[in-house]
Amino acid sequence: MVAGEHAPSGGRNWIKTVAYAGLIILLFLLPLFVDSVYYLHTFIITLIYTIAACSLRTILISGQLSIAHAAFMGLGAYVSSIFARELNWTPWLTIPLGGVSAMVVGVLAGYPLTRVRAIYFSMVSLFVGLAIVALMGVFQKYTGGDIGLIGIPPLPSITIPGLPTINFLSSKIPYYYFFLLLTVFCLMILHSLENSRIGMSWKAIAQSYLVASSVGINEAGFRVLALAVGCFFAGIAGAGYAHYNMVLTRSSFGFLSSVNLLIYVLVGGTGSFFGPIIGTTVLVIVPEIFRWLKTFAPFVFGGIMLLVVFFMPQGIAGLFEQVKTKFLHFQERKKPRDVS
Amino acid sequence: MLLRVKDLSVYYGKAMALENVSLEVAQGAVVTIIGANGAGKSTILKVLSGLWPSTSGEVYFDNKKIEGMEPYEIVSLGLVHIPEGRRLFPYLNVLENLKLGASLRKDKEGIKQDLEGVFTHFPILRDRRKQKAGSLSGGEQMMLAIARGLMSKPRLLLMDEPTLGLAPVMVVELVSVIQAINKTGVSVLLVEQNVFLALQVAHRGYVLEVGKVILEGNIDQFRDSDLVKRAYLGE
Repeated sequence: MVAGEHAPSGGRNWIKTVAYAGLIILLFLLPLFVDSVYYLHTFIITLIYTIAACSLRTILISGQLSIAHAAFMGLGAYVSSIFARELNWTPWLTIPLGGVSAMVVGVLAGYPLTRVRAIYFSMVSLFVGLAIVALMGVFQKYTGGDIGLIGIPPLPSITIPGLPTINFLSSKIPYYYFFLLLTVFCLMILHSLENSRIGMSWKAIAQSYLVASSVGINEAGFRVLALAVGCFFAGIAGAGYAHYNMVLTRSSFGFLSSVNLLIYVLVGGTGSFFGPIIGTTVLVIVPEIFRWLKTFAPFVFGGIMLLVVFFMPQGIAGLFEQVKTKFLHFQERKKPRDVS
Repeated sequence: MLLRVKDLSVYYGKAMALENVSLEVAQGAVVTIIGANGAGKSTILKVLSGLWPSTSGEVYFDNKKIEGMEPYEIVSLGLVHIPEGRRLFPYLNVLENLKLGASLRKDKEGIKQDLEGVFTHFPILRDRRKQKAGSLSGGEQMMLAIARGLMSKPRLLLMDEPTLGLAPVMVVELVSVIQAINKTGVSVLLVEQNVFLALQVAHRGYVLEVGKVILEGNIDQFRDSDLVKRAYLGE
């Protein structure tokens, strides 16, 4: 080992940790400053879609561009709702169940899908998504069909001895904290997976499946694993959404929603873990700001897309990286080179 | 015999790529397959490592039938392929590339030792370990590809045209690298167009022409062979 090899990155990591901790604390304190129900609602939606977008990126880094992700969200949402509504199971149980069922379907669909790659994978995934959404239209007794599913129970109140009861119906604040905790939890798992050997293998497959196979990476296995992980968290996000919104319509999980999720990831940048977080935040909140433009909102959305495509091919997160690199080079140039 | 290929034929649709190719690699040997572009050299290696299906024929590695196996299963047996051309993961750094070479290994201590061994062999990789593989020079990329192959603990290393795009001085370096690898007990099957290199390191050789073996023998015979001289050395 070369002496001091961890020094520079270690120093930066320390700053990073502080920055993340600060951001999370800020998010936890947010309800103190924001009392508007509407703003809180927007933040909650942002959190839910952040989980979904980050889990979609997990699938993306394994070289699989899925156009079915919203459908898997919907799958988790419907499974969780139906179990909670019909069997009176507590949402604390049905939400993980929603995640697991999305994962199981993801794996079942994923195995045959490993036979196709690139654009062919995307096309088949599109049909998987359409099939799932179509399924939500049948068994009307349970799914509500095209009318939608109503009367989904909210999260039950939590009683912790010595503290006031947390009632989810009282305001949006308990929901905000629930989704904030859930998001932090999910993102921590996704982040550590990405930086493990598993994540490395995913990226290797995306860069060249042939070379990946030749070093002994089980391509099919790892691709299915990426789908399993991604679909699980999509299911969790969807299930959480169901018990927040309490009404589901299958049209919210269709083709356009899947494409929207992809746009969140692409605008944010696929190269960085924080890409989809940034992308979702920008693309959920900005259209809300421009709501007064009403009919022109799609143009704002499209305008952002064009700006990103032309000026930030690596996404918004990629722009940060570029600026950082330039800044570091600038710093290095100012320093005299140490000759050793 | 470590590797035995019997009557291997491969067709791409109706086009013949290999026809009744038989070859052997003994334990501890360096064997070369030489031939012009399109002779089917790379196809042989792809079939051996499970990246391409054969049409007919049999492949035995350590007396075990391996065709039809998944590529990762074949790697786990110790038959490791270093593909030609872009053999790296360009967007991962050097260290990550090396670690991926040990994808199937569970012995953490052994991996650590081998990593140190690789860094001793190729000190430049230690200096560049945090650098993206795609930013390395051609020679460094070749070293990394070989080093990554070694991280899989191979018993037989399949090398597909390692000299492709290398500076002449690196080709000389490659001779000693291959010899050093071979000294540690790893057998090598080297596919080359660069006959100079092949003649210097190999013990045995095969000449492939349009999918068929037209000459085989010890490397001394090759050096004297009129066919090899005329066709590949330009004498």
